[in-house]
Amino acid sequence: MSSHSNHNVSVQELYEGDQSKLYSGIMAHHTDLNSTESKNQVKKIWKVFWILLVITLVEVIMGMFLSHSMPKALVNFFFLALTVLKAGYIVSVFMHLGDEFKGFILTVLIPLVLFVWFIIAFLADGGFWLHMNKTSPARQHIEKVKE
Amino acid sequence: MLQATVPSTKEHNVWGGGRSPYNVSYGKMMIWFFLLSDALTFGALLISYGTRRFFSSVWPDANQVFKSFPFMGESNLPLLFVSLMTFILIMSSVTMVLAVHAGHYGDKKNVTKWLLWTIIGGIAFLGCQAWEWTHLHGECNGLWGAFTDVNTPVSAFSGFFDMHKESVHQVLANHPVIAMESTHQFFNFFFTITGFHGAHVTSGVIFNIVILINVVNGTYQKRGHYEMVEKVGLYWHFVDLVWVFVFTCFYLL
Repeated sequence: MSSHSNHNVSVQELYEGDQSKLYSGIMAHHTDLNSTESKNQVKKIWKVFWILLVITLVEVIMGMFLSHSMPKALVNFFFLALTVLKAGYIVSVFMHLGDEFKGFILTVLIPLVLFVWFIIAFLADGGFWLHMNKTSPARQHIEKVKE
Repeated sequence: MLQATVPSTKEHNVWGGGRSPYNVSYGKMMIWFFLLSDALTFGALLISYGTRRFFSSVWPDANQVFKSFPFMGESNLPLLFVSLMTFILIMSSVTMVLAVHAGHYGDKKNVTKWLLWTIIGGIAFLGCQAWEWTHLHGECNGLWGAFTDVNTPVSAFSGFFDMHKESVHQVLANHPVIAMESTHQFFNFFFTITGFHGAHVTSGVIFNIVILINVVNGTYQKRGHYEMVEKVGLYWHFVDLVWVFVFTCFYLL
């Protein structure tokens, strides 16, 4: 059911009518579910599933056994790195963002990267407030409730 | 990234109108933009949790709070149940992607099959979350607004903390009110964020059921493409992604 024949209908008419034909490159109507191409895509999906499973298991094992013997900052770094890795796989393979035009990928990813700055800023803020409350000379007269 | 502004002889100017410059349909692009906005909302909730936590000198330890498993009674199995929940949700994401893949090939039968498994996975996850909530409320007395009474005995919440750490031990001995306040905030954030996420899972399951009905009725076969399955799949993967981050923030970090 291929619809690559845009030539007899103008782009304008397609745009105002059945838009699916405009994107026949993306929503390509393949016909054979058993073709090698299809089978490879399915294999890739299952491969990513196993990767996600292994990463999750590593995270849980770390959380259960190793988190008490390693410095907290290192443990947290590992957890965040593994989580971002999982997110990357899900977004690029499962959500097919990796198959889109580069401009569109950037449209989605750049705000999220800037969001990381937001995260760091607010966590640092929280930590700073704790430190400030503990050490500020202006607060020395308050009974040290926050130890 | 941008095509040449002078139209070539073969193609229109990409940004000249009449076509999608990113070669993606309006519906799919808008779903992505909605997911971005939702990501920022969840991000805001998680950041406020993180800030509050960094602001505290003590905080409940996930290994202590989440150590029960359905039907296993008193056994101490930290993080095992939540790992199962994560596995269920990732599995449902895989079945969703397989449904989308079948949709690319117009295979109605397989779309139906994989979409059905996705819905089952979603319902299983919701069931697990419901058990977790019921357990935390019934056994640990956790809920929004819990642990605010200054006369609460320390034993009611000391079990949530990692007593091996000297600093934690000190605080619980000398200023238990601080630990109680942290417990209170912990449960507030936990139920809010997992509740908000659970609402997304629920709506995702409902959307999936609606689309499944459409698939079975042949709506998309008639239309000539299964892009609706792909769009609802994007929402489902987003729900899974958020869980990955919630799981990390609450149970690991």
